[in-house]
Amino acid sequence: MIEAKNVSKSFGKIRAVDDISLKIEDGRVFGLIGTNGAGKSTFLRLAAGVLKPDSGSVEIDGREVFEEPEVKENFFYISDDTYFFSNSTPDVMAEFYRKIYPNFSVLRFGKLMDDFSLDRKRKINTFSKGMKKQLSVILGLSAMTKYMYCDETFDGLDPVMRQGVKSLFAGEMTERGFTPVIASHNLRELEDICDTVGLLHKGGILLSEDLDSVKADIHKLHCVFRDENDIEDVKKELDILIEDKKGTLYTLTVRGMEEQIMAEINAHDPVFAEMLPLSLEEIFISETGVTGYDIKKIIC
Amino acid sequence: MFIDIDLRDRKPLYEQIALGIEDQIMRGLIQPDEALPSVRSLAMELSINPNTVQKAYGALEQKGLIYSVSGRGSFASNAEGLLPGKREDILKQLDEIITKAVKFGISMDELLERARNAGNIGNT
Repeated sequence: MIEAKNVSKSFGKIRAVDDISLKIEDGRVFGLIGTNGAGKSTFLRLAAGVLKPDSGSVEIDGREVFEEPEVKENFFYISDDTYFFSNSTPDVMAEFYRKIYPNFSVLRFGKLMDDFSLDRKRKINTFSKGMKKQLSVILGLSAMTKYMYCDETFDGLDPVMRQGVKSLFAGEMTERGFTPVIASHNLRELEDICDTVGLLHKGGILLSEDLDSVKADIHKLHCVFRDENDIEDVKKELDILIEDKKGTLYTLTVRGMEEQIMAEINAHDPVFAEMLPLSLEEIFISETGVTGYDIKKIIC
Repeated sequence: MFIDIDLRDRKPLYEQIALGIEDQIMRGLIQPDEALPSVRSLAMELSINPNTVQKAYGALEQKGLIYSVSGRGSFASNAEGLLPGKREDILKQLDEIITKAVKFGISMDELLERARNAGNIGNT
């Protein structure tokens, strides 16, 4: 288990990570989501022991990470900007990681490179951005570590590759209790694979929960009432996060159980009421309470 | 195994998988005592989290639709006993649709005609 306890990190005046505490359990996929500059990458770098926390601690299985090579053998960190030695080939990088990770499997590396049709002898600087990301994932999986930190790794992959990598992750998870930690702002990417999500905003953590229970707790619906008084009554009874009105049609984002919400709405005999699918993206917006973050408002 | 996954659906992923498998068992596409794909292979095939597949299998087992044999995987149960309940569910859904149709002024004759046509397609 990875456990962060009251971790903070500042760069000058900027408080990138502000008193974050969270637990990442083994054998589950943890998704780290947040806006640009929310502190996702800084948090991963703290969890990787690249940065030393100003206060608090990050422990892997009860041991502090920073400057502990032995603890660092437990994870593979794919940073946002993939780094390879200049003029190196995939084989050279594999040789390097083999020296660092005691369980590195050369066999697996060869097989994955073939599966992804990447040339092991070609200079990496001639690879495309997406191919570099693929190579990082392959090196990471070959290192056979318990944890893998992926910083926006999926964003650089094409849809076919994304599905492929997700499949590989699924295989690893059932075979050896592999635990991926995936940071992304692309929520659609995380929706179908994460068990737990941690929502970062302005350096702090807003929630860290089971994705299914997050989804069960927030609902969005369309409704039209016969009378303005009805909507006022409904507003008093329900915990409404976001309200939008177009003509007589109300779009409400409500916190609570689905049955209770519908019972309350139906009690007012609406002309029409319907539950809508809610994406992680909308949950994210509701939770951060930052409709003001809506990019449309910045542009318009 | 083909399972339709819709990320825009309000139903959680595990429930969609469970329903997909339930459907196939009820319709006899998966025979009683037939082995289901392993958690690993289904997760890899659908490119989803194995914990999600595990959760779906757990839900199906609770409903009595599948049973697991330790070390050998999961198998479909004999679902015949559950069919009446499923039929009742479908009829209830139909009631809702018919009520809505009547509200929008669709006549009984139109409805019956539709039902007959759809029934014929379902039979073939």
